[in-house]
Amino acid sequence: MPFRKFFSWLLGFLGRREAFSLGLYGNVNAGKSTLANKISKDWTGEEMSEVSEIPHETREVKKKERVSLKVDGKVVTMNLLDMPGIATKVDYRDFVKRGMSTEQAQKRAKEATKGIIEAIKWLEHVDAALLVMDACEDPYTQVNITILGNLEARKIPVIIVANKIDKKAAKPERIKAAFPQHPVVEISALRGDNIQGLYSAIAKHAR
Amino acid sequence: MKVELEVLSAKALSGKTGSEKLELILSAIKKNKNKIIVLEEPLSRSDEKELITKTMSLVSKGFPGIEVASIGEEAADFKTQLLKFLGGKTTGLTVIGPSSLVRQVKRDPNSLSLTAGR
Repeated sequence: MPFRKFFSWLLGFLGRREAFSLGLYGNVNAGKSTLANKISKDWTGEEMSEVSEIPHETREVKKKERVSLKVDGKVVTMNLLDMPGIATKVDYRDFVKRGMSTEQAQKRAKEATKGIIEAIKWLEHVDAALLVMDACEDPYTQVNITILGNLEARKIPVIIVANKIDKKAAKPERIKAAFPQHPVVEISALRGDNIQGLYSAIAKHAR
Repeated sequence: MKVELEVLSAKALSGKTGSEKLELILSAIKKNKNKIIVLEEPLSRSDEKELITKTMSLVSKGFPGIEVASIGEEAADFKTQLLKFLGGKTTGLTVIGPSSLVRQVKRDPNSLSLTAGR
């Protein structure tokens, strides 16, 4: 669209670069919020999400606006969206097993289902996506396939993030073998391993 | 424990919209928690997305959700879409069951394995 390009150029010319939206998607407990916090902390000095071992800690879309990455001589400005983990089931009893009261667990389950619906709705609105996978787990899950298929159908650029490579059980090569059509970046969001590699990939592929 | 397996042929699904298919699947699974449904076609990526959305809106104390897996490609090219429109078969299938029954579905591009039981 010529107007969009012109508007983008005008914003750049006026010193206010147009931001694109980057959604962090993936299964529950893949490390999306840890990664969102790492990116946000590195470039804004502030974290953006709560992190927990209990599944569905992120139950609504968390947004950090105008995060500017300065990578390889380029400035990339984005609105970072930390999505709730997508799942096909949410059983309140799983939260009870982790020490919550039945009432708390049912409330969390209800919020989690709403969060999943919200994350799915956002699939139609993001400009680019990081699909975060736990490198210790089987990457060929229905959730990953569904997210990827829907992003591909809309021609949205996707970078697959093979997270948790600091763990002994990590096998990022399985992710590369399963999805050879997309760039795969191996990282540890927790330790920051190869985070610069991810920033370079965002600058290269996400715009 | 008795597990019921219902196979829906591509022909049985051919006249239905994506939404009608999903209603059919979810109402059958909710009605009978010992039922696993096999569709003789892969769901489209868009239908899979809708299936998760509809499932989440139905989650309750007694229905925690589903396990689902598809193999095979959805009808992408014109020839396959036309074949499907005319009621023909496309390659692939989808397996769906309540998560209270289906413990695990493992898949790779060419096979599916499912573990069920309580």
